[in-house]
Amino acid sequence: MSIPAAVLVQGLILGLSYGLLALGLVLIYRTSRVLNFAHGQIGVVAAVLLAKLVDDFHVDYWPAVVLCLAVGAGAGGATELVLRRLYHRPRLIVMVATIGLEQLLFLITLLPFVSPKHLFAPFPVPIHTGFTVGVERFLPGDTFMLIVAPLTVVAFALFFLRSPYGLAMRAMAENGESARLAGIWVKRTSTLAWMLAGVLSAITAILASPGKANAFSQALGPELLLRALAAALIAAMTSFTVAFVAGVALGLIESVLLWNLHQASTVELVMFGILLVALVVRIRSLRSGPRDEERSTWAFGAAAARIRGDDARERVRRVGLALTGVGVLALPAVLDNSRAFLVSRIFVFALIAVSLTILTGWAGQLSLGHFALVAAGAVVTARLVGHWPVLVILPLAGLAGSAIAVVVGLPALRIRGLYLAVTTLGLALLMQVSVLGTPCPRLPLTNWHVCTGLPDPASTLVHRPSLFGIDLGPQRTMYYFVLAVLALTLLVVRAWRDRGIARDLLAVRDNETTAAAMGIRVMRTKVMAFALSGFIAGLAGVCFALVTQRFQASTFDPAQSILIVTMVIIGGLGSIEGAVLGALYLIGIPAAFGSGTTVQFITSGVGLTLFILFLPGGLAGVLHRVGDAAAGVLRGPLSTTSWWTAAPGAEAEAEG
Amino acid sequence: MTTTEGAARLEVRDLVVGFGGLCAIDGLSVAFRPGTITGILGPNGSGKTTLLDSISGQVRPTSGMVSLDGEDLIDYLPEDRAALGVVRSFQDCRLYPELTVEDTLMVAEDARRPVGILGPTLRLPAARRAEVAKRQGVDGLVGSFGLEPFRHRRVDQLSTGTRRVVDLAAIVAARPRLLLLDEPTAGIAQREAEALAPLLATLHRQTGATVLIVEHDVPMTVSLCDSLVVMEAGQVVSAGPTSEVLSDPAAIEAYLGASQEALARSGEVASRPAGRDL
Repeated sequence: MSIPAAVLVQGLILGLSYGLLALGLVLIYRTSRVLNFAHGQIGVVAAVLLAKLVDDFHVDYWPAVVLCLAVGAGAGGATELVLRRLYHRPRLIVMVATIGLEQLLFLITLLPFVSPKHLFAPFPVPIHTGFTVGVERFLPGDTFMLIVAPLTVVAFALFFLRSPYGLAMRAMAENGESARLAGIWVKRTSTLAWMLAGVLSAITAILASPGKANAFSQALGPELLLRALAAALIAAMTSFTVAFVAGVALGLIESVLLWNLHQASTVELVMFGILLVALVVRIRSLRSGPRDEERSTWAFGAAAARIRGDDARERVRRVGLALTGVGVLALPAVLDNSRAFLVSRIFVFALIAVSLTILTGWAGQLSLGHFALVAAGAVVTARLVGHWPVLVILPLAGLAGSAIAVVVGLPALRIRGLYLAVTTLGLALLMQVSVLGTPCPRLPLTNWHVCTGLPDPASTLVHRPSLFGIDLGPQRTMYYFVLAVLALTLLVVRAWRDRGIARDLLAVRDNETTAAAMGIRVMRTKVMAFALSGFIAGLAGVCFALVTQRFQASTFDPAQSILIVTMVIIGGLGSIEGAVLGALYLIGIPAAFGSGTTVQFITSGVGLTLFILFLPGGLAGVLHRVGDAAAGVLRGPLSTTSWWTAAPGAEAEAEG
Repeated sequence: MTTTEGAARLEVRDLVVGFGGLCAIDGLSVAFRPGTITGILGPNGSGKTTLLDSISGQVRPTSGMVSLDGEDLIDYLPEDRAALGVVRSFQDCRLYPELTVEDTLMVAEDARRPVGILGPTLRLPAARRAEVAKRQGVDGLVGSFGLEPFRHRRVDQLSTGTRRVVDLAAIVAARPRLLLLDEPTAGIAQREAEALAPLLATLHRQTGATVLIVEHDVPMTVSLCDSLVVMEAGQVVSAGPTSEVLSDPAAIEAYLGASQEALARSGEVASRPAGRDL
C-alpha cells in the first residue's frame, strides 16, 4: 500500500498549522505557566480583520497584513493585561479566564465593523499560483502556507535564540524570580511574549483561513486546538522544536489515517489514543518542571462562607430555603408547557453543574468534557427506556457515567489539573464525533458489535416512560420528576459536603503530600471524586434525555462542556447553591431574553471574565452577602464576639 | 501490615538517595531506639530532609533499607507508612490552606477511620456516630492545644506559628509511633520558637512515639533530645547520646563548631577553624 503524495502534502499543510499553534501555546506556557485557550482566537480576530480590510475597504494586501499582525500583537498584549490581574490566583483559574476571553474575542469578530460583509467570499491571498500533486489540485492558499509557515518558524527561532528579548524570555521561563533579580523587567518581558504569541497566532490564522468556506464564524474549533495541545504536550510544554515537529507529525498522521479509514470517527479515536499515550509517556517530564500550578490551590481568595453560629442568619437561611421550596413546587401552576420545559432544563443543568462542582470545586480537577458523561447517561436512557423501568435506568446511567469518568481520570491520578483539562476536552470531542455518531461500532479484531452510540445519530427520539403508574409524558409531570431527582441529589451532595467527603477531597486537592503523610488514601480519594461526579452526571444524562426527548450527536458538542465550566465558576466554584444559581443564570437568562447564540455568549464569555475579575465568590457569594445583610436587619449589627466571620483578610490575629 | 502499640524501632541501613547526578544520601546507616527523641543536625544540603523523606516515603531511595520494627518500608506508599504510625510534619507547614482548623484536624482523624461513601450518602447511624466520635476527639485537641479562638478560621489566615501548633495537634490525632519533625521552628518568631520546645516535649510524652527532629536551633535541640545525629554530605559524621556527640571532635568540626562559637561569642569575633568557609 503506497500513500499518494497528495495525502502527505495535505497532511503537511494541516500539520504546519498545528505546529504553529503549538509553538504559541508552548511560548505562553513557558513564560506565564498558563494554558492559553484564547490563543487561536486572537489570530482569528486578526484574520477576520484582514478579510474585512481587503474585501470591504480595498486596502492593499501587504499593508493590511502588517496592520493585522499589529492587531494580533495588541490583542495578545491586551489579553495579558487582563490576565495579569489574576497572576496571584491559581493557574487553573487563569486558564478558565482564557476560556472566557476566547469567547469574548469570538464576539468581537461578530461586530459589524470587524465582520466582513461577504462571509463566503474567498479569503485574500497575495499569490495566485496553485499546484497539482497527482490528481489533487492545491490552491494558492496552500502554496502560501507551505512557503510562509517554515519561514515564520525560522524567524521565531532566531528571535528566541539570538535576540536579547528571547534570552530574557528564556530566563524568565526557567526561573521568574531569579530573572527579576538579574534585572529583567519581568512584566514587560511577559507582555512581549504575549504580543509575540499574538503575532504568531495571527500568522497561523491568516495562513490557515484560505480554503475554509466559513473560517470566520467557525473560529478555530476545538479540534484544531486539541491537536495543537497534543503537540504541545508531546513537547512537555517546554521544547519548541518538539512541539512544532509533533504538530506537523500529527497533521501527517491525521491525513494518512483519514485516507486509510475514510471515517472521521475512527480517526478521532486514534488521535485521542495518541494524546493519552503522549500524556502517559511524558508524565515524568511534565511533572519535573516548575510546579507552581501543582502547588497552588483553587483558593478563590474571598471565601464564600456565610456567617456561622448566628441564630438570625440561620433563620434567614431556613426561610429562604422554605420559600424556594414552596416556589418551585407551586411554579408549574402558573407555567405553560414551554415554560415548564425551560425550567426543567434549568434543573437538568443544575444537576450537571453540581456534578462538576464535586470534581472541579472540591477535587480541583478541571474537566472540559463533562457533557460527554451526560451524553453517556443519555445513551443509556435512549437504549433502555421502554424496556426497563426508570428506577433501574437511573442507577445504571449513573454507573456508566462513573465508569467513564474514572477511566478518563486515570492519568489525572498522577498529574494534575492542566492535563486533565486536555484529556477531557479530547473526550468531549471523541464522544461527539466517534461514539455518539456510530450507533453500533464493531469491536476491533472481533465480529462483535457493541451498541454504544445513539440509536439514530441524526435524530434520536426518547419516549417518556411512566413511573409508579404515573405517565411522565406531560411537561408538568416531567417537571416534578426532574425536580425530585435534583432535590434528592442536592440532599445527598450536601451530606457529602458536611459529613467528611468534601473535606478529604479538599485536603488532597490543597496539599496532596501532607494528606498522604497524614494517612489519607490519595488515590482512593481521587477515584472517589471522579466516580461520584460521574454518577451524578450520568443521572443528569437520564433527565436530559427525558426532558429533551429528541436529540442528536451534535447536541453534545464540546461547547456545552465549556458552558458547564462557566456555570460553576459564575455560580461560585465549590458551592452547591452556586452551581444551581449558575445554571439559573446561564440557562434562565437566555430563556427569558431570547435564546440567540449571541446572548448565550454574552452571558457566558463576558460574564465569566467579569465574574472571575470582580466577583471571585460568584453568585453564591452574592447570595451569602444578601443573606448576611438580611440577618443584620433582623438582628441589628453583628456583635463583636462573632469576629470569626471568615471574612477575607481577617484582622491580624492576636497570638494567645 | 499490623499496627502495634507503642513506640516504633526504626533502622536505616545503607541508604543511598540520588537526584540525577547528585547524591543526597550516600550510604547512610543509623538506628533509633524506641521511645527516644533524636535530633538530626547538619549544614544545609547535608541530606537531613531527604533522610526524613525516605523514611516517610516522599522520596524513593536508590538503594538501601528503611525498616520499622523489622519491616522493610521501601515499597510502601506514604499512606501505607502513615497507617503503620509513621507521621511527619513538613518544613513549609502549609497544611490545607482552604480548610478550617477544625476540618484540618478532622482530616487527620479521617486517616485512621476513613469516611466511606455509603455512610454519608444514606445518612447511616454508624457514620453519624463515627463523625460524632471524631468531633469529640477534635474538641479535645482544640482544647489542649489552645486552638479554640482559631477553630473556624481557615488555615491560610493563620500565622506560621499557629499553623505549627495546628500541625502538631493533627499529628497527635494521627497517633504516631514514629514521628518525624522537619524544622518545627522554621519561619516562626523567636518567642514562638521558645514556646514550642515545651510543647514538643509534651508531644513526645503524650504520644510515646520515637521522635526524630531536624532542626537548626542547636540549643533547643540539645535541651530536648536524648541523642543526636550529625550529618554532612549525606553521611553520618557522629551519632550517639547527646552529651557524647557534643564532645565529639568530628561533630564539632562538621557542624557544632560554628554553633558553639555563636553561643560563646561575646564581643570579640572568635577565630574560625581552618578549612571552614564563611
